[in-house]
Amino acid sequence: MLVLSYLLVTGITTGALYALVALGIVVVYKATEVVNLAHGELFMMGGFLAYTLHVMVKLPYVPSLLLAVAGSFAIGILTDRVAFRPLMKEGLVSVLLATIGISFILKGTARVLWGGKGDYLAFPPLVSPEPIRIGNVMIMSQQLVVLLAALAVMLVFAAFFKTTRAGKFMQATASNPRAAALVGIHVSRVYMYTFGVGAAVAGASAVLMAPLTLLYPDIGFALFIKGFAAAVLGGLTSVPGAIIGGLLVGILEQLAAGFIGTTMQDVSAFIIIMFALIVLPTGILGVRGIRKI
Amino acid sequence: MKSYRLVLNLTVATLIGGLVAVGHAEDGVTKDEIRIGSFGPLAGPVYMYGKLAMNGLEALFDKVNQEGGIHGRKLKLVREDDACKPEGGIAAVKKLIYDDKVFAINGGGCSNSTLAARPEIVKAGIPFVVNSAVADGISSPPAPNIFTTQLTATIESRAQLRYALEQKAKKVAIVAQHDAWGRSRYEPMMTALKEQSIRPVSDEEMTIDQNDGTAQALKLMQTGADAVLLVVYPKPAAVLIRDSLKLGYKPLWIGQTAIQDLPQLQEQVGIPGALEKFVSIATIPAHPDDPEMAEWRERIKKLFPNDALSVFNLMGIGSGMVVVEALKRAGPDLTREKFLTAMGSIKNFKTGMYPGPITCKPPVSNQCNQSVGWIKFGDGKPKSAGVTTLD
Amino acid sequence: MSHRAFLVVLFAALALLPIVANQYTLFVGNLMMLYIILALGLNLLVGFAGQLAFANAAMYGIGAYGAALLQVRLGLSYWIAAPCGALLAMAIGTLLAFPALRLSGIYLALATLAFAQFTQWVLLHWTTVTFGAGGFPVPQPDFSSFGVSPDRGIYYVSWVVTIVLLAFAWRVVRSRIGRAFVAMRDREMAAQALGVDLLRYKAMAFALSGFYAGTAGALYPAVLGYVSPEGFDLFQMILHKAMIVVGGMGSIVGSVIGASLLVYLLEVLRQFKATQEIVFGALLLAFVLFQPRGLVEFLKRSVPGWAEPLHYASDSESPADIAVADEVVAGSRGGATR
Repeated sequence: MLVLSYLLVTGITTGALYALVALGIVVVYKATEVVNLAHGELFMMGGFLAYTLHVMVKLPYVPSLLLAVAGSFAIGILTDRVAFRPLMKEGLVSVLLATIGISFILKGTARVLWGGKGDYLAFPPLVSPEPIRIGNVMIMSQQLVVLLAALAVMLVFAAFFKTTRAGKFMQATASNPRAAALVGIHVSRVYMYTFGVGAAVAGASAVLMAPLTLLYPDIGFALFIKGFAAAVLGGLTSVPGAIIGGLLVGILEQLAAGFIGTTMQDVSAFIIIMFALIVLPTGILGVRGIRKI
Repeated sequence: MKSYRLVLNLTVATLIGGLVAVGHAEDGVTKDEIRIGSFGPLAGPVYMYGKLAMNGLEALFDKVNQEGGIHGRKLKLVREDDACKPEGGIAAVKKLIYDDKVFAINGGGCSNSTLAARPEIVKAGIPFVVNSAVADGISSPPAPNIFTTQLTATIESRAQLRYALEQKAKKVAIVAQHDAWGRSRYEPMMTALKEQSIRPVSDEEMTIDQNDGTAQALKLMQTGADAVLLVVYPKPAAVLIRDSLKLGYKPLWIGQTAIQDLPQLQEQVGIPGALEKFVSIATIPAHPDDPEMAEWRERIKKLFPNDALSVFNLMGIGSGMVVVEALKRAGPDLTREKFLTAMGSIKNFKTGMYPGPITCKPPVSNQCNQSVGWIKFGDGKPKSAGVTTLD
Repeated sequence: MSHRAFLVVLFAALALLPIVANQYTLFVGNLMMLYIILALGLNLLVGFAGQLAFANAAMYGIGAYGAALLQVRLGLSYWIAAPCGALLAMAIGTLLAFPALRLSGIYLALATLAFAQFTQWVLLHWTTVTFGAGGFPVPQPDFSSFGVSPDRGIYYVSWVVTIVLLAFAWRVVRSRIGRAFVAMRDREMAAQALGVDLLRYKAMAFALSGFYAGTAGALYPAVLGYVSPEGFDLFQMILHKAMIVVGGMGSIVGSVIGASLLVYLLEVLRQFKATQEIVFGALLLAFVLFQPRGLVEFLKRSVPGWAEPLHYASDSESPADIAVADEVVAGSRGGATR
């Protein structure tokens, strides 16, 4: 029984990691209908920026976090300018490849700048590195921070999309850019800020997650694949779906590892998704797309 | 129209021609220079074994050149990337031999790409000294032109098991990566266990990017394993140790040369006192922060300002020292044969890097390093935990 | 010069390469031909038929493992094992057509990606069959009865196979099948309304690309003498996509150009040693930004007489344009479309 509790709790804490990544992906997709394949690397750069500021330059935690988020926001805007806007009209494949190009540039740059410092860099946790007790299980305090952050981000975005004007602008732009432009929404600015916000979320996530996942140039890719899978499972257009997808992927992985075998841990997410998409072609909470003629 | 045809023909021909090697260089030796090639991953997740080892080698060459070179010739390093993939290894080795035309190769960062490249190397007869890859198949069965200064997977895996048994462990477990790197050690480990008629109580897998080891730790705890043989990279190891501590599980952890930087491992785990019952094998027992390593710290800083001295640099340096020694012994009239003979003559050579002396015993064994140096972590510092020499 | 002349020159140069090149260059030239085959197959599926699939590298791997394992485990001759490998990849590829009926766009991309990851996992973990991670050596086929070395022998075999597959792709694209593909890609529902059987043509597209990738895979063990799972990972997949985008999606010659150029660039990239990733990313980005329709577009405009009739660049799929189309349809039907 304790084993099951631990597997579930671990599934939730690792799921929270995936959920945070998925949230960034979904936010960008909701407005632009594009998946930013460099999202993982934006995450990674945010983490390294924070590392440079907090560990190397020895700035205190909160300013480092804020500056790292600002830096990620800037890189996100750059991505929009360089990859998305010029290629929007050429189709999905071109945009995807451009974001892939950016991901390589970012990864290579990180390797050159920070790669020689060590294989996996440690980042200090927000509170304490010791495990804490919740009910009858122990978890790392940072895992709790990440889980709370994921929920907080989700609530903020859900509220944002539902209630604020800016949120409605973004949804309007996604569903009908021409009409949105006609009613005076500055479409290209919406796209730009969306990329920025998605990247900022990635950067903030990285700083929170880095004590658990460690920092290295390849961290972006591994997390992105799982986060992307989680986002699609939850439905690419749904903010709560990102959380649900993330938690589901996390839990399923742990259950597979615990009850079938640890060799199944890494691949179980993909097997589930392959089959889930057959039954639910747009994910669990995804909106049934309009068939385009 | 016709002129376009001509121009395009020429362009295509030049394009193809650009790939064709031009040059009539000798086999890597001129009167002022010896070209030594190296291949390994220069980018990607395991670039430490390629790029960083090569950086160390370059620092060594820099020092040797400053001191006058070898019989008046300067050493030049030619790097090729193998992307840690068999396709890349074959391409890199072909390029070094037929295009860059190097005298000898000192490298081999990844086991699978080096294994794939072995037939090519054997066919060409070029001297090859391995510095990082551990797969046994690279140097065994022995080939007259292949030597290794790196501990092989078999040596390390056997040593890990031996240590566990010497510590009177009753229940041995394995946690391994099942990628190419992990397999090259996992198989000899299983063989060693079979030879001793021991069944591991638990055999778990982790992946190189895994963020949580709770499922693995739970399994290990359930079986009551008191010694865990770690065939994983630092990140999964750190994550596993952290989550085991969380569960209150404290077995004897036995690592290998992929986990050599113990202060860094302690930081990666985060929880103080995590490495109390942890030992690992060090290719190079010295830590980059030791006082004796000051010279190398400076050299690396000078050549590569963004880097700090790391164990991977030291691995390149240690192996390079053996190569340099053999080059010296081969004399001013340098040929590949003389170099190979010189390599074979190296007995009890002390590098100050490897824990034991380097002894090559062709034709029986070209695995020149049989000394396993153990390290542990205490009082905030890595410490030696003995040297085992197998034969 | 016309695109035909370009192809003739290229393949003539490739035919002559073994005479002037060293072993390294021969190896690269052979790889170039394998990638041309891969790019052709992927372009048929993505560029012509519009199916955003990410399983090409996995098909490549299945073809390679099929051919290699039949030789190593069952002792079959290469000349039997190789076609079997290709057919295996084709069969498995065809199965992917079924999810393609239900999914499109980014969802299809992820489903095929998940399949590719699963294939990798199988290759890594089914060790009793596949030898697992790290791979295994495969004996190269013997050409001594023809008096050439194995390297040269397989080079010429690849050369012939590449030309045959190129010609075949050409025919397919000009035929009714090709037109059905393009119709499917541009306006799926309209194509269906006009009688294009989606299942049949999607299955054909997946089968073809699976066969092409599988054939390239079948040649792979003969060229390298070694097979391992790492050669068929996501980076391979990205490489294949990059080839068709750089060369030109929806263009046969574009596939050839993209493949050749990228293989050449990758070898040139070796010079950059540590900054490889940055240069690769920058080049990819630059190509996509400045020639989003591929180099073929540039050649069409600037080389007189190029006249590639088969470059069916898809018209805009941007959210904006589709939104307008939706509006029109919704307005005329008086309700949301489903």
